[in-house]
This record gives sequence, structure tokens and C-alpha cells, in this order.
Amino acid sequence: MSRPSRNKPLRGRPDKRFCSVIMLFYFSAFLLISLKEKVHWQGIALSVVVPALIYIATMWLPRFFPADKLLLSIANFLCALGVLILYSTDMDAGTSRGLQQAIYYGIGIIAMLICILVVRYVKNWDVMIWAVTFLAVGLLVLPLAIGTEQNGATNWINIGGTSLQPSEVVKLALILVLSYFMSRRQALPWLLFGLFSLAVLMLQKDLGTALIYYFTALFMYYGWYGNVLMTGLGVVGGAGAAVAGYAMFAHVKKRVAIWRNPWAYPETSGYQIIQALMAIASGGLFGVGLGLGAPRVIPVYFTDCIFAVICEQFGILFGLLVLVMYVILILRGTSIALKARSGFHGLIAMGATVMIGIQTFVIIGGVLKLIPLTGVTMPFVSYGGTSLVSCMGLIGLMQGVASVNQDQLNYDYDISMLPQDLSGMPKADDFGGGNR
Amino acid sequence: MKGNQFRFRILALLCIALLAVAGGYGVYSVSTYGSRWFSNVRNIRYQSARDTVIPGDIIDRNGIKLATTDTEGNRVYQSDKPSRCAVVHLLGDGEGYVANGVESFQARYLLGFETTLTERTEDLVAGEKRRGDHVVLTVDSRLCTEAARAFTNHAETYNKAGAVVVMNYKTGEVLALVSLPIFDPTEITDVVKNSPLHPFWNRALQSTMPPGSTFKIVTAAAALENMPDAETRVFTCTGATKPAGAKGVITDYGGEHHDSITLPKAFRLSCNNTFAQMALQMGDKNLRKTAENFGFNDNFLFQDMIVENSSYPTKNRTNFEIGWSGVGQSQVTATPMHMCLVAAAVANDGIMMEPRLIAGVQSPAGVVRYEFEPKVYRRAMKPETARVLQGYMRTVVEARDGTGTRAAIEGVPIAGKTGSAETSVDGRAVTHAWFVGYIDDDRYPYAVCVFVEEGGTGGKVAAPVAKDIFAYLLTNYTK
Repeated sequence: MSRPSRNKPLRGRPDKRFCSVIMLFYFSAFLLISLKEKVHWQGIALSVVVPALIYIATMWLPRFFPADKLLLSIANFLCALGVLILYSTDMDAGTSRGLQQAIYYGIGIIAMLICILVVRYVKNWDVMIWAVTFLAVGLLVLPLAIGTEQNGATNWINIGGTSLQPSEVVKLALILVLSYFMSRRQALPWLLFGLFSLAVLMLQKDLGTALIYYFTALFMYYGWYGNVLMTGLGVVGGAGAAVAGYAMFAHVKKRVAIWRNPWAYPETSGYQIIQALMAIASGGLFGVGLGLGAPRVIPVYFTDCIFAVICEQFGILFGLLVLVMYVILILRGTSIALKARSGFHGLIAMGATVMIGIQTFVIIGGVLKLIPLTGVTMPFVSYGGTSLVSCMGLIGLMQGVASVNQDQLNYDYDISMLPQDLSGMPKADDFGGGNR
Repeated sequence: MKGNQFRFRILALLCIALLAVAGGYGVYSVSTYGSRWFSNVRNIRYQSARDTVIPGDIIDRNGIKLATTDTEGNRVYQSDKPSRCAVVHLLGDGEGYVANGVESFQARYLLGFETTLTERTEDLVAGEKRRGDHVVLTVDSRLCTEAARAFTNHAETYNKAGAVVVMNYKTGEVLALVSLPIFDPTEITDVVKNSPLHPFWNRALQSTMPPGSTFKIVTAAAALENMPDAETRVFTCTGATKPAGAKGVITDYGGEHHDSITLPKAFRLSCNNTFAQMALQMGDKNLRKTAENFGFNDNFLFQDMIVENSSYPTKNRTNFEIGWSGVGQSQVTATPMHMCLVAAAVANDGIMMEPRLIAGVQSPAGVVRYEFEPKVYRRAMKPETARVLQGYMRTVVEARDGTGTRAAIEGVPIAGKTGSAETSVDGRAVTHAWFVGYIDDDRYPYAVCVFVEEGGTGGKVAAPVAKDIFAYLLTNYTK
């Protein structure tokens, strides 16, 4: 009687084929734009490096612990898409965002690995969670002390020439803190932490991130406590806060006015969204082609409006497929959450999933003028190190839970293979910490 | 955990639903507004395509080249000056002063954005510069020239601003679309740029003005459909109707009064008192409903042109305002294009065709990319109502005491309605002249709208211009 290999993938060969297709896609895409007009050696390097990173993160890492390879493939596809789009817009602009993003992508993979390890191997969360909480609080208030203002929000800090956005990294802490205290039904700590983060984000005028924090917490609250009345009150409270924010902040008022009719301010405040919409319209169904079009006329095309660039170059059909990628990501994340045996792990996976879902909606809805445009990043794709680190960290959290799930399944299997009289062993439910 | 599992699934569905809404909204808005976003003058994408693509030709319905590209890549218009000036608003100029002309609104075709991949590859292999598609218009260039000539020939209109629209009321094909004053696209001088008449403005599509008495077509349609005895009910016109609770009175143009009067006569003489009383008797709601059936308050999303939306007011509806709305004043506004559609709907038994400009699109190699097919825009009224109105509109032109007799041509069935819209411009009281009408003959299914800004009375100023156009149509469109 042989026990199943610990390293056996959750799914079979299709994952390998899927990953190969993605690698081939990026290899040829980078090669294509590198050989346009003259040879760009950086692009040729990327045509090897990016597929290599994809291989490492989707095929090689799961050799060490069980993982959901479909989820990994999708996340890596999106990260690589960001590198590709950024590199293609760099070509004749003299910027090097594509190369930087490739480095961030590498750092993101490391962040993911760390998160997997943390979820998988940290057993004593009772101490750890307080360390996470205080670290998060410290990081959050840092921009208030030494922050710099970018695009109307004071949410950046500069350390040794590189700028960081702490509220991005704290997203990971938020998920952990909420999951820990919710799963133990200790309402006060997570409420205090949540309210504190919201207050700090409001002070920093980082309203887009505050929105994501708020709804992630609310969704997790509903998922765990199931109190429809309180959740409803939360939605009403959020709406009330939005109205209050509208009345209080001039820049919120302005954003709403732009959203209602950007064509009234075509040369000033409405310029960005108008250019984004024109880019999408110019792409048509199949796009103007990689590296073509005029993406750089859209202000901050590399973060806020990168979805418009994707639609311009690859077409609205591809844009919709990117949305489908996020949907698959949500489905996989939910499936991991459903298989989790402890509330703590279930909440971590579900929290990370809804956070990505909400953030995707906020930015893509903003670019398409469905809701006012806020300066949040498009998960995995937008330019930015901290954003990529936090998104890959979220994937790491999900994968960590997935690996624990698989361990527990394996344990069950071992137990069932033991002679009957020895089955008084501890049950799998006692694994992984967390009681409910 | 059962409850949690259920709720986790709900959360996943919620997130997916949010993304689906975003995607669905994106598809909806791009398919609805995409062509408008794309052809906006601020879209530098198609502007920069001019460097790499040879734009296609713009050709009128008779094969006359209105715009073409010479061997050096310059845009060339018709050599005859009056002809190229008459279509300048229709096409738009090269420097982007005129908004939403064919040159920009059809840039997708003209600049080869619809070229297929194989065609692009063929051009690449042949080493040729890519060529855009040729756009054939429904417009008759000679008729445009004649319309501009008629407008500038009459003593009452020669120095005025205005617009002329001619369309086929059975198919919706626009035959002429002229905005006055015209200018020469090859020499855009400072005189043109600084003219107080704003020559760059395409009044036919962009100028929303009170339609005045031409709106009585709509009021009459509303009365016929909502008041069973509309045709026989007797109204009293003292020259000044005072609606209940109103401070002001509703007067007739030039201080006339008509004593006891019924709808047919009131329509013929354009009696404001009758129409104001009618509006009050049927109620604002009914009048508004009919106006909306005619396309007022609708967001026009015509596929070939951008027309400013017309409005029937919905706020501050006092009796005084309702009364004035019945005669096409008091915040009721429409473009010449839309008023032409109103007349066309009557002529076409109540069915309003979508106005169209593009007859077809051909690739440089002759492949047909797009071909015109008539499309119904909306049903404005019942066919019976339209037939009654057709009779009324005939009397306006044909009866000796009608207001539109100056549009009459001996032996030709012409129908019409005049309008003299009073409004104030910079505190000055001015009167805009309107005439909408059509030839009531299936062999000549043409509707005409003439609008003269600050022109005076419609019957005196606008009708003679319309007459010239009718005469041209009758001699040149023999069937």
C-alpha cells in the first residue's frame, strides 16, 4: 500500500500544457516587439526571462508543496501581461517600466513564496498575529509621518530612492488579522484594526484603497458571521460614508463630476477617462496590435488605465477574456476556501479572493466609466512593485491554504489506510490551528 | 461550516457578478458610443493615421468626388468653389474646425481601420502605403450647392445664418445638409474664424432652437390622438389667452386674433391661442408623450451622424409654460435635422425613418464593405393621424390664406408648416424663421427643412428658399 505522493499535482497534465502555452505566448510576444524596426536586446532577454519566471512560479515551486496550478497559471499570466504591456509602451518612450516590472514580478514570486511558507508552517498564530497587527499599524501610519503626496493622496513613502505604498502591503496583514480574530469570534480586535486602517486611509485621502479595505472586511464578515442585518447596515454605512466623503472632500466631488460627464472637461480633469475610452474604442474587437496604437496619450496609462491599453492593443474581446481570467481566479480561490478545514484558513483564502475581486471591479469599472475612477491598481497587471508584491502575496496566502488542505487530505488517506484498531488517532480537523 | 460554505459561494457569485456587470457595461457602451468616442477630434489615433494611410475618397450619390487625396498626399476638394463650400460642414475641414463631419465621423473607413488583415498583408508585401476605404454618401452635391445658392440668393436670407436639410422621407437618405454661412475649406481666413455668425458651427445638426409654430405639427398630432372631437372642437381666439393662474398671456404673432376657430383653420393660419388652449385642455402629459414619440427627449444615436438632442421640458410646468409649449416655445428645442424628420414622419404616414448619410463603403480594390439599408427610427403617430395632418399641411401651402403660400408651386402637391420662433439672444428679442414641408407625391418623396436664424417670419423668409429647392427637385429628379 503506497501513500500518494505528497508532490502529486492537484490536477493532471492539462496544467503543464496550459503553462507551456502561456510561456510560448510571452516568448513570441516579446520576440515580436523586440524585432520591430531594430533589435532590442532587452526585449529578447525578457522573452527568455519572463517565461522562465512563469515556469518557476507555476511548475517548479509546486514540487515542494502541493498547490493549485490553475490559480498559479492565471496569476502568472496576468503578471506577465503587465510586463509585456509596460515593455511595449516603453519601446520608444525612453522609460524602463517593463524591465522594472519584470524585477518586481520576480520579487512578487518571492513574496508569494514567503506567504505560502507563513501560512503553511507558522503554527503559533496567537503570538504571531499581534506581531502582524503592530507591524501593519506601524506601516500604515508611516506615510502620515514621512509620506509624499502623489495624485492627491498621501500614501507613499520614500526609502533610499525607492517609493513604497504601505497600504498595499498592509492588505496582506488585513486579511490575516481579520481571519484570525473573526475565526475566534473576537469582534473587538478586528473591528478596531479595521476602523483604524480606514481612518488612516481617509487621512491619507487614499479613498480607493479605503473602499477595497471596507468591502473586503464587510464581505468576510458576511461570509463568516452570516448576519444579514448587520451586513446590510454595513452597506448602508458604507454608502453613508461615501456621501459624507463626497460632501467633505473637494477631490471626491471632482471625481464624481468627471464620472458623470467627462466630456464637459475634455482638456482638463476629464482628459484621462476620455482618452481611456477613446483608446478602448480605437482597439475595436481585436485591437490595433501589440506595441501599436497610442497608449501613452492616456495619463497614468501604466497603472490606472492599463486596462484601456490592453483593450486598445489586443481588443475588447481580449479585455473580456482578461476579466474571465479574474473570474477563474475567484472560482479557484473560493474552491480553496471551501476545502479549508479550519475557519482561519477558510477566511484567509476567501478574504484574499474577494479582495482581488473587489479591486478588479473598482479599477476596471472605473476605466469603463461604470463607476468613478479611483487611483487603485489593476491586480497583477498595473505597474508598481508594492502592488505586485501584495497581489502575489494574496495568491501566496491562497496557495498556503491550498497546501494545508492537501496535507490534511493526505493525512486522512494515511489514517484510512491504518489498521482499524489504531484509528483512535487525532482527527484531521484538529490540524492547522484554529478552533471554531 | 455548511452555512459558511453557502455564504462563501454567495460571495464568489457576488464578485463574479460585479465583474460581469463591468464587462457587460463595457461591451454595451463601446458598442453604443464606440464610434463616437473613436471619431472624436481629441482622438489623436486616427489623426496620426493620416501620416501612414492614404485616406479614401468621399463620393456623392452621383459619383462626384467631394474629397480625394492627390499623389502628394494632400486632401483635394471639388474645384468648383460654390460646390466645395456647400458641402464643407457635411465633410468637415482638414483642420478640425467643423465637428463630426464625414471626414472624422467616418475616419474608421476613410483611414483604413476596417481593412482586413489579409488586405494589410497584401499592401505590406506590395510595399505600398495603405489606402483607406472610399465612402459613398447619400448626399447629392449639386442639390447642396443649389440649397446654398437659394439661401444666399433671397434678399431676406442672403446675409443670414441658418440651415437647409433635404431628405427622402421613405428611406431616410439625406440628400442635402447645408449649414449657413458656408466657407471655403481651402482658405480658412481670419475673417471666417472671427465671423460673428460662427461659420464653423454645423447648424443643421448642432443648433437646438425653439421650433416655434412648426411644433404645432406635434401638438396637432397629440390633439388628434387624445381629443376625440379635436377636428370639430371650437376654440375662441381673442388674440390673448390667459391660462388659469398665469400672470402673462399667450399672444398671436403680430397681435392677430381669429375669434371662433377650429383646428384645421388654426393650423392653416398658425393660431397660437388655439394651440395653447389645446395643449392646456389635453394636458402636459399627453403632449409630452406625443413629443417623445416624435423623438423629443430621446438620446439620438444615429449611426451616420451626431445630432444634438431635442427637448420637451419636464420641469417647472406651469399652465403658462404648458400653453407656450403647445406652440413650440418655452424650452421646447430642436435641430433643423429633427424638424425635417418631423415633417418626414407626417409624409411617411407616421413612420419616422432614421436619417442616413452613408450609401456605401468600398475598399480600394472594390470590395463592398458596407451597403445602405433603410431603417425605421420610430413610429411617431398613427397612420390615420398622419393622413389628417397631411391634409392640414397641404392647406398651409395651397389655401389662399395659408401661412406657407410662398412655398407653393402651381400644380404640384406641396405640404408644409411655417414657424416664427420668438426668443431672446443676449437680451435682444429675435425671431427665427422656419419652414418644414414635403412634396406629397410618391414619385418625389422628399422632405425639406429651412431654418433661418434671426430671419423673421417663416412664411416670408424660409418658405421661398424651400420653394426653390422643391422646384430644383421637380426638374432634376424626373421619374
